[in-house]
Amino acid sequence: MIEELAGPIALVGYGLAAIGPGIGIGIVVGNAIQAMARQPEAAGMARTTMFLGIAFTEALALIGFVLFFIA
Amino acid sequence: MESVILAASECDVEAEIICAPSDVLELFEFTKPLFSIGGFDFTRTVFLIFLAMFIVLAILYYGLRKGEKVPSKFGAAVESLVTFVRDDIAIGIIGPEGIKYAPYLLTVFTFVIVGNLFEVTPLINFPITSRMAIPAFIAVVTWVIFVIVGFKKNGLHYLTDLVWPKSVPLALRWLVGIIEFVSTFVLRPITLAVRLFANLVAGHLMLSLLLASGYIFVTAIPDVGLKGFVGVAWFVFGLGIYLFEIVVAVLQAYIITLLSAVYVQTSVHPEH
Repeated sequence: MIEELAGPIALVGYGLAAIGPGIGIGIVVGNAIQAMARQPEAAGMARTTMFLGIAFTEALALIGFVLFFIA
Repeated sequence: MESVILAASECDVEAEIICAPSDVLELFEFTKPLFSIGGFDFTRTVFLIFLAMFIVLAILYYGLRKGEKVPSKFGAAVESLVTFVRDDIAIGIIGPEGIKYAPYLLTVFTFVIVGNLFEVTPLINFPITSRMAIPAFIAVVTWVIFVIVGFKKNGLHYLTDLVWPKSVPLALRWLVGIIEFVSTFVLRPITLAVRLFANLVAGHLMLSLLLASGYIFVTAIPDVGLKGFVGVAWFVFGLGIYLFEIVVAVLQAYIITLLSAVYVQTSVHPEH
């Protein structure tokens, strides 16, 4: 069955690269929502920090995206 | 979008293989420039860059021109945009001295938001930030700013504290130093540029594919019969993505501005 598979292996690589950041963004957003629910008056700060956390976590997925193009 | 439709009309619907571009580069058409002045090629992207510049200039000029005691509704909206970038992003992230960087951050924010919103502007439908040159240039400018600020504020300690951090145990110091050096000077600009680029390319492709395939299937109803009605669902899904892309366009402009501010902030107060 493996012989029937065709296509660029970079696609699989990008899929693998997206697993970790996917889990990470879930954790970041989940905890940010929890923080906002516990302390609604600090929601603004939590939201800004959440976007920063997402942006940093995303970096690995973005590197995978670039590797897909250059591989 | 026209090229996608053209590609599908050349597609053999009887064959079992679904039409797909043989090479990913086919998705990125490299059209010939309309005209060149002294070696500078004027393509559609260049025109849209100038259009974005004039839109930003016009909005800021008519929103903030002097002589009005009470700002109009439009003026109030533009003022709240400017104060948002100045107070919430520049001063909120960098600190009181962040007001020096507010003009640069406002430039990035307004230009990128207009460039991103071209994606969902009818009759344009092309985000200029999905051409790698523009996010890359913004990232390079941000890189130059935070490196210069870092050396100006901290002298050579900026570099030595980064590659030889005193707070880390001696055995691990070289490893942390290498990681910090690479992530600060190499990965930061790359991810800053690629984040914007990737989000806009993905959104543009998704919109083109969904709306174009919806159009193709609906127009093919006389040929293929009832099966063609699946195109209606795709078209509706495409319109849903259209709304989602407006959110993405605004959010990515906010994020690139926020991260530029954070990178400058880490240079102003490194041990923070």
